[in-house]
Amino acid sequence: MLATGSDHAILSGGNLRPGPASQVVSRLVLCRMAPCRENYPEYARVNSVKPPRECLLLALLLVWLSPAGFARGEEGLRAEIDRHVEAAWKANKVTPAEPASDAEFLRRLYLDLLGTIPTHDEAVAFLDDSDAAKRQQLIDRLLDDPRFARHQAEVWDQVLFGRNPPGYGTDKREGFQAWLQNQFQQNTPYDQWVKAILVAEGNSVDDGAPLFFVQYKSQPEDATEAVTQKFLGVQLQCARCHDHPFESWKQLDFYGMAAFFARLQVVEVGKKNNLAMYAIGEKNRGEMLFTGPVTEQEVGQKGEPVKPKFLHGEPLEEPELPADFKEDRNFPNGKLPPKPRFSRKDQLAEWIARPDNPYFARAVANRVWAQFLGRGIVHPVDNLSDSNKPSHPELLDLLASAMVEYGFDLKRYIRELVSSRTYQLSGGGEVEAAMPSWFERARARPLTAEELLDSWRVAVGYEGMEQASGRRPSDDRYAPLGSGYLMQFFGAPSNGVGDFQGGLHEHLFLNNGGLSSLLSTAKGGLHDTLLNSESPWEQRVDRLFVSLLSRRPTAEEREKFVAYLTAEQDPQTRLNEAIWVLMTSSEFRFNH
Amino acid sequence: MRCPGHEHVSRRALLKGTLATAAGGAVMNWGNLFQSRATAAEVERGQKRCILLWMNGGASQFETFDMKVGRPTGGLFREISTNVPGTRVCELMPTIAQNMDKLAVIRSMRTSQVDHPGGIHLMHTGYSEAAGIRFPEMGAVVAKYLGRDGSDLPNFIKIFPHGNTGSGFLGPMYQPFTLSPEGNLPTFSRSNLNPEIESRRSELRSFVEEQYARQHKAETARMHREAYEAARRLQNVQAVFHIDDEWEKYRDLYGDSAFGRRCLLARRLVEEGVPFVEVGQSSYDSHADNFVWHRGLLPPMERAWAGLLNDLEQRGLLEHTLVVWMGEIGRTPSINNRSGRDHYVRSWSTALAGGGVKGGLVYGESDEDGIDVKDNPVTEGDFFATIYQALGIDPAVEHYNGVRPIPIAPFGSKVVQDLLA
Repeated sequence: MLATGSDHAILSGGNLRPGPASQVVSRLVLCRMAPCRENYPEYARVNSVKPPRECLLLALLLVWLSPAGFARGEEGLRAEIDRHVEAAWKANKVTPAEPASDAEFLRRLYLDLLGTIPTHDEAVAFLDDSDAAKRQQLIDRLLDDPRFARHQAEVWDQVLFGRNPPGYGTDKREGFQAWLQNQFQQNTPYDQWVKAILVAEGNSVDDGAPLFFVQYKSQPEDATEAVTQKFLGVQLQCARCHDHPFESWKQLDFYGMAAFFARLQVVEVGKKNNLAMYAIGEKNRGEMLFTGPVTEQEVGQKGEPVKPKFLHGEPLEEPELPADFKEDRNFPNGKLPPKPRFSRKDQLAEWIARPDNPYFARAVANRVWAQFLGRGIVHPVDNLSDSNKPSHPELLDLLASAMVEYGFDLKRYIRELVSSRTYQLSGGGEVEAAMPSWFERARARPLTAEELLDSWRVAVGYEGMEQASGRRPSDDRYAPLGSGYLMQFFGAPSNGVGDFQGGLHEHLFLNNGGLSSLLSTAKGGLHDTLLNSESPWEQRVDRLFVSLLSRRPTAEEREKFVAYLTAEQDPQTRLNEAIWVLMTSSEFRFNH
Repeated sequence: MRCPGHEHVSRRALLKGTLATAAGGAVMNWGNLFQSRATAAEVERGQKRCILLWMNGGASQFETFDMKVGRPTGGLFREISTNVPGTRVCELMPTIAQNMDKLAVIRSMRTSQVDHPGGIHLMHTGYSEAAGIRFPEMGAVVAKYLGRDGSDLPNFIKIFPHGNTGSGFLGPMYQPFTLSPEGNLPTFSRSNLNPEIESRRSELRSFVEEQYARQHKAETARMHREAYEAARRLQNVQAVFHIDDEWEKYRDLYGDSAFGRRCLLARRLVEEGVPFVEVGQSSYDSHADNFVWHRGLLPPMERAWAGLLNDLEQRGLLEHTLVVWMGEIGRTPSINNRSGRDHYVRSWSTALAGGGVKGGLVYGESDEDGIDVKDNPVTEGDFFATIYQALGIDPAVEHYNGVRPIPIAPFGSKVVQDLLA
C-alpha cells in the first residue's frame, strides 16, 4: 500500500482539541479558508469506502499502454463514441431523441464552434443544400473559420480566469486573450500552450501567458488549487487544511505541490498602452512551510519546510545550491527577472503536460467533451476522483487515449465529437434535465453573454447597419450594449454548481429597453430590409425566422406572425415587436 | 445531497395552494395564486420576514448600547434609563430607550474582519472572502427559504444597498433588487411601453414560448419563462414603492428623515410579503469627530427604528418580522487625537427585535473599558446561525459550490438559544 497509517485521524476525534467557539474561530482566522466541516469532528461524515488509488493508476497505465486502447474501427473515434453511448442507452433502457434536423444542427454547430448563430444567407445556403455530405462540409468549414479561434479562446479564457479573477490587473487581459486566440489560430497542441502558461516566460502584455500566475500573486496555495483543478481536473482544496475525508489526498500531497509555486514572484516590468506588464520571477530559495491540520495550529507556529513532490508521484530531485550562494530578497521592478539556477516551476510544467500524466489528458478530454455534449463523463469536469465515478468509464478511457494519440490536437478531437451521431441528436423530447445523464438528447445550454451579443448582432444585421451608416465601426467588443450591462445581466447565469437559473433582472433588462440599440430601424439592418421588402408577408416572416432562429417557421407560426404584422396600416411598430419577441425567446436564449 | 431551490418553492407553493383551496378558490396557476388580498394576508400571516437595518461604516457601541461612562474609553455622552429596569443606553437614543422591551441587545460581538470591505462581506454573508467562492448574502438565503414562488415583488430587496456579493452561488434567482437611497427603482425596472402594445407583444411572445415548450421540456427553458412572468408582474405592483401617499400620516412616527422614509418603505414591503428587506444608513466611519457624527446620525436612525418596530407591532407583523440592527464593525475603545474612534471587532454590539427573539434582553458583556468580551462571546457565525434559527431556517442547511458543501452559517457556529423566544 502506498497510503499508510490512518487516513482519517482527524475524523476520529482523537487528535482534536476543540476549545470554546471563540478559540476555534480565532485559530481558523489564521487560515484564509472559510471554516470547513472537516475541522469539526461533530460534523464530519463517516468515511465512504475508498478504492485503492493504485488500482486507478494501474488501470490508467494499462489503458495507456494497451494497443486495445486504440483499437478503433475504420470510421474513427466518432463511431466509437456512438457505440459506447448507445451501449449505455441499452443497458439503462434509455430511449434517445430523434436525430437533429438540419436547422437544429446548423444553429448548434455555429454556436458551439464560432460562438454565434449563422447569418440569414449562411443559414439558407445550408438548409437548401442537397449534398448528402453537407454536414461534414460545414464542420470542416467552421473549424477553419477565424471565428473558431476567437470563440474557443473566449471559452478557455473563462476556464483560466472566469468573470471575477483574483489578483490585481487580471481584469484587463487583452494581451493574454490575443495570445490564447493565436494558439487556437495556429492550432498549437493543448499540451504545448498549457506548458507555456505554466513556464510563463516574457511579460503579460507582449507574451500573454504570464498573466495566469498574476492571479495568485504571493498565494502559492491558491496557485496549487487552481493549477490542479484547471489542468489536472482534481480538487485538492480540502487537503489544504486537512487530509481529505474521502479521497486519497493527504495534506502533504497539497503542500508537496504547493512547494513548486513557493518561489514565484510577480514582478511589474513596465507599462504599455496603460497596461501594467507583469513577469513571473522564480527565486533560488524559499520553501513551503507545513504546519499540520489547521485546527491544531498555534498562533505564531512556523512549520516545517516541505519538499516539492509531484501529485501521487515522486519527490522532485533538486541540485544543492553552492554554500556561499547569495540572492537579493526581491526582484527589482522594471526589469525581467533572471532565470533561477534550477526551476521548480519548469519541472512541474514538464510533468503536468506529459502524455503519461495520469490526469492531464483525461481532464482535457473530459472537459472538451462537456463543452460540446453538456455533462462531463465525469461531472463536474474538474472533479476526477475516486468517489466521483465516470458515467461511461470505457468511453472516457478511449477519449483520453485519443487525446494523446492526436498529440493534444484539440481541433481534430472536436471534429470527431461534433461528427458523432450523439452530438447530432435533437434537443427535443420529454427529458427535463438540461444536461441529460446518458446523452440521449442534446443539452440545453444558455448562451454566454458574448454568444448572446454576437448572435443578436448577427440576427438584426448590426454590421449591415454600421456599414450603411458610413461611421467607423466601434472597436468595443461589447458594442452596442456595453460590457457593463452584459456582464450584469448575462455574465453569470448559473448557480454554484453550474445550473442555469432564470433571473428577474435579465428579463427586466430585455423587456424594458435594454435592447433598444439593437432594435434599430436603420438602413442595412433586418428591420429595414423586411419593412421595405416587396415580397409577400409570408416570405418576410420566413426571413425573420431564419435570421433570428436559423429555421423556417411552421405553418402555424407563419400564419400567426403574418396576422400580427398586417393588423394595422403601418407595420413598423409591430415589426419591431416581432423582432423583439424572437430575440428574447427561450429558443434564442439556449443552445439546444 | 444538493437540494434544488425549485423543489423547496414548489412544496411551499403546494402548501399555500391547499390553503387557498380551502378558502374557496381553486387556482391552478401558482403565479396568480392569491386572487384577493384578504386570502393572501390570511395565508401569509404566519410567514416570517426579516428587515436588516445596516449601519454602514460601523456604529460605535460606546455611543449606543455599551456605554462606559466615567471610564477613559467612555466618550462624551450620558446614559439614560430605558423602559427595561437596569438597562441603560446612550442619551442619543431616547425613543429606542422607550422601546428597549422589544430589543435583544448583544454586547459581546467578536468578529474576524476589521476593515470595511472584509467586514461588509463578512456581516452580509457570515463568511470571510475566499478566492473563487461568491458567498450568498443573508438576504439571498432568506429569499430562497422564505421567498414566495410566483410573487409579484422580488424576494430580496435592498434600499440604499451595501455589500455586493448578492446571491453568490445561489444564483440569479435570488439576486437582490436594489433601490437608491431615495427609494428609486433600478434602471430597466419600469416598462415605458404603451400598455396595449406591451400586452399584445407579450401575447405574441407567449405563443412563441408555447411552440417551443411543446417540443422542448428542459427545465432551463421553464425557468426562463417563469422569470419573464416575474418581470412582467413587477409592473403591476409598483405602487408599493410610492410612499408619498402615506408619508404625511407616518412622518411623525418615523421622524422626518431619509432613513425614516426608507424604513416606512421597508414596512410596506414586508407587509406585502417580501421576506427580506435591507435598509442602509451611511456612514458611521468616524475616524475623526466620532461624537459629532453620532450626534448627527443616531437621532434620525433611532427614531425611525423605533417607529418601524411600533408600526410593525400595530399591524400584527412584529411577531413575524425579525428586525436586525448591525454594521460591519464596532469602534475602538480608545479615542484618537482627532476625537475619532477607529475600527474594532474584538468586542462590539448588535441588536435584534421582533419575530423569534426575546425582548428586553441584554446578552453578553464586555469588560469595564469595553476592550474585550468578558462574557458569552458571539462570533459572526453564531450571530448568523441565531438569525437563521429565529427565522425558522436550519443554519446547517448546505449548498454546494462545485463539490464543496457550504452551510448557510459556517461550520462550528452555535445558535445563541438565550436570545430566542
